[in-house]
Amino acid sequence: MAGSRLLDMSGIRKSFGGVPVLVDVDFHLDAGEVVALLGANGAGKSTLMKILSGNYTRDAGLIAIDGSPAEIRAPADALALGIRMLPQELSIFPDMTVAENIMIGAMPRKGLHVDAAAMEARATQLLKRLGLDWLSPRTRMGTLSHHVQRIVEIARAMNGNARVLIMDEPTASLAAEEVQLLFDIIRRLQAEGISIIYISHYLKEVFAISGRVVVLRDGRNAGDFVTARTDVDEVLHAIVGNRVGDLYPAFSASSGAGDDVVTVEGLTVEGWLRGVDFTVRRGTITGVHGLIGSGAEMIGRSLFGAVPRTKIASATVGGKPYAITTPGRAVEAGLGLVAAERKREGIIAMLTLRENLSIANMPLFTRGVTVDREKEATTAAEWIRRLSIRARGPEQPIGTLSGGNQQKVCLARWLLGDPSVLILEEPTRGVDVGARLEIYRQIRQLADQGLGILLISSDAEEVAGLADRSIVLAGGVVTETYEQPTDASALMSAASKPAVAA
Amino acid sequence: MSQHVNTAAAEHKAITTAQRSRNLLGHPYAGVVMLLVFYLILAGVFTTLSPYFLTFKNLVSIGSNMAFIGLMAAAGTPLIIAGGLDLSVAAVAGISGVIVAMCYANGIDIWLSCGIALVIGAGIGAGNGALTNGLRLNPFIVTLGTMSIITGLSLVLTGGLTQPLLTEGFNWIGSGKIYGMPVPLIIMLVIFVLIWWVMAFTPFGRFIYASGGNPEASRMLGIPVDRTQMILYVLSGLSGALAGIIVAAMLGAAAPDSVGKHLLTVIAAIILGGTSLFGGRGSVWGTLLAVLILGTLNNGLTLLNVSSFWQDVTKGTVLLLAVGLDQLRVRSQN
Repeated sequence: MAGSRLLDMSGIRKSFGGVPVLVDVDFHLDAGEVVALLGANGAGKSTLMKILSGNYTRDAGLIAIDGSPAEIRAPADALALGIRMLPQELSIFPDMTVAENIMIGAMPRKGLHVDAAAMEARATQLLKRLGLDWLSPRTRMGTLSHHVQRIVEIARAMNGNARVLIMDEPTASLAAEEVQLLFDIIRRLQAEGISIIYISHYLKEVFAISGRVVVLRDGRNAGDFVTARTDVDEVLHAIVGNRVGDLYPAFSASSGAGDDVVTVEGLTVEGWLRGVDFTVRRGTITGVHGLIGSGAEMIGRSLFGAVPRTKIASATVGGKPYAITTPGRAVEAGLGLVAAERKREGIIAMLTLRENLSIANMPLFTRGVTVDREKEATTAAEWIRRLSIRARGPEQPIGTLSGGNQQKVCLARWLLGDPSVLILEEPTRGVDVGARLEIYRQIRQLADQGLGILLISSDAEEVAGLADRSIVLAGGVVTETYEQPTDASALMSAASKPAVAA
Repeated sequence: MSQHVNTAAAEHKAITTAQRSRNLLGHPYAGVVMLLVFYLILAGVFTTLSPYFLTFKNLVSIGSNMAFIGLMAAAGTPLIIAGGLDLSVAAVAGISGVIVAMCYANGIDIWLSCGIALVIGAGIGAGNGALTNGLRLNPFIVTLGTMSIITGLSLVLTGGLTQPLLTEGFNWIGSGKIYGMPVPLIIMLVIFVLIWWVMAFTPFGRFIYASGGNPEASRMLGIPVDRTQMILYVLSGLSGALAGIIVAAMLGAAAPDSVGKHLLTVIAAIILGGTSLFGGRGSVWGTLLAVLILGTLNNGLTLLNVSSFWQDVTKGTVLLLAVGLDQLRVRSQN
């Protein structure tokens, strides 16, 4: 399968302000090869890829394409060599057509005009190459679903003499069947001899699609495995170094036995949920699994009062009747919510770690009418230590921390207020393996201390590994209920069951 | 043992000091320090060029001339930080003077008249807040609309004519002095200190920064974003009314169009002071320094006999320069 050697990077070095981030890193790629590039956040993956795509210049080392030295000084050099990078976030123009989106960088012209016919013909050809024959190039981009927009983006990258495609977390917000569609496209490109560098935190995907796995740790090569001849443990070991052990903490003996701290009947959100009943138990992790669009993503936030037009038959929190109104009231009732979209809904990037930690619980840090900064600082220092948050200190702006460390702050923020229930939405989305280990351990510890936890995740393995009991949603209704820990395959098949009409 | 601990502590201190100096540009107060340096340079230049500049009398006159602008800028700063904007504030000042003059002319006690003006100012602020929050309208559009309505109303009420307003106790607010300090300047400084205290030390101050920094996250955390903005709109309306009262007291008359033209100076001072128009970032001391810089610039150029037409050009240039420098500073933080 593997063709001739296409790319050879050797002895790559890069430092920022005297801090080495890449030390003698080697990386090579054959034509038509899919290589997964793995490593914890800060391991140097994105720096290496930015050097390859011309966004950074290397301090030392050699890059060769087809065996001859290549000079990549700017993004234009990389593009000319056929190196294309698909960014993590979508970069599309929703009000332009599919054809315009694909051809935006190289519009064919006729005199002063855009040659619309040539543009559409070329776009159609590229879409066909990716198996999207059914998509008209005149469709407005904004009307397409997220995963189709992703594929159109790939078509844009394929325009011209593309040879290497770098994909950074391409499946971050795709549902399982959409991931399969993406994989089909990757295989198609591979068959054409195009090489793919695939960056992901999801090991399951990596094992499904890649031919080889390259691991970086602390800016150095930490492993190079043929996927068919390695396993998750070996790769995990390479990623986290000596911090091995099972990703998920053990279930406790008393798990699942507590009394109900939240009961919900008939939770309905127009277009999302139709009369969902569930309970959350003290000292227990209750999992909610569902594909994107199943309504699972709305369960926590609608209960929290953050979704307009939420209706409910009856609910109690801590034995008292609970009416859904505003997040402020939910907090008073003893609920806390760690939102899925951390950047948008979780952190206030311009404020410091200390200020982000205290903001939802200001009464705790108020003496008279003023804020007790001393108490804030000592509390922040304590939580930095307890959750091993990697930060310069309480005064570091939270926006400059890595995703995993931001998430730890979002978690710690609620623990201050002593809530009785914590709702966690996708607690490890975009979080590296090392931080995941710590977050999982912390979640289990919180449950052991008596907290009721509602864990909402589209990652079935996460629910299987962590939840003492779980429910599965599809089409806005509960399709399956488990009172014991269950396995990922059961959850996944329940989630893909067509919803029974209510 | 204790010696050992001391060495470790000293080492720790040395490290943090080194870190601090490296992050000097990134320090939250770096922007304010930059403004201060700029102000001192400006004052130095004017002192060498004009012997009259650095006299107590002149400095005090800069202060009292800028007081009503400073007042509005002081209240506008937390509003913009919280993600709001009030373009109607100067128009409120205009109508507030008119209301005081007309109430007084109709036999109402002068202090009661001031009270009425303040209540109306607060009411306009509440209206701005209700429109932006309740209907989720853009504050730029909403307050542009109310600005136009209020400016028009003050002209309708007065027929465009200046209303005389001479009564001794009242005029003291505009031209009186306490220990040589003009009353308007004292009022402005007191308001600055109050707002600084609220922003720096109270939970409400945190809500201001959080609401503007990330409104969506703030709502998810149970922070009363709408209430925070509403309070700040009312405060801005109040500051406009108070500014109008001070101007009327200074001039001994209420001219319907006396303050409106200063709106751009108010907004310029807030932005020049390092407050982000997008919210989440800024400080009231930066605004105060910016008010002083803009006032000094006007005063100094007048002393040097520069035409007032050129003064507008200079003001704009300084604003662009300062905002450009501030952007460089913010980038160097990352």
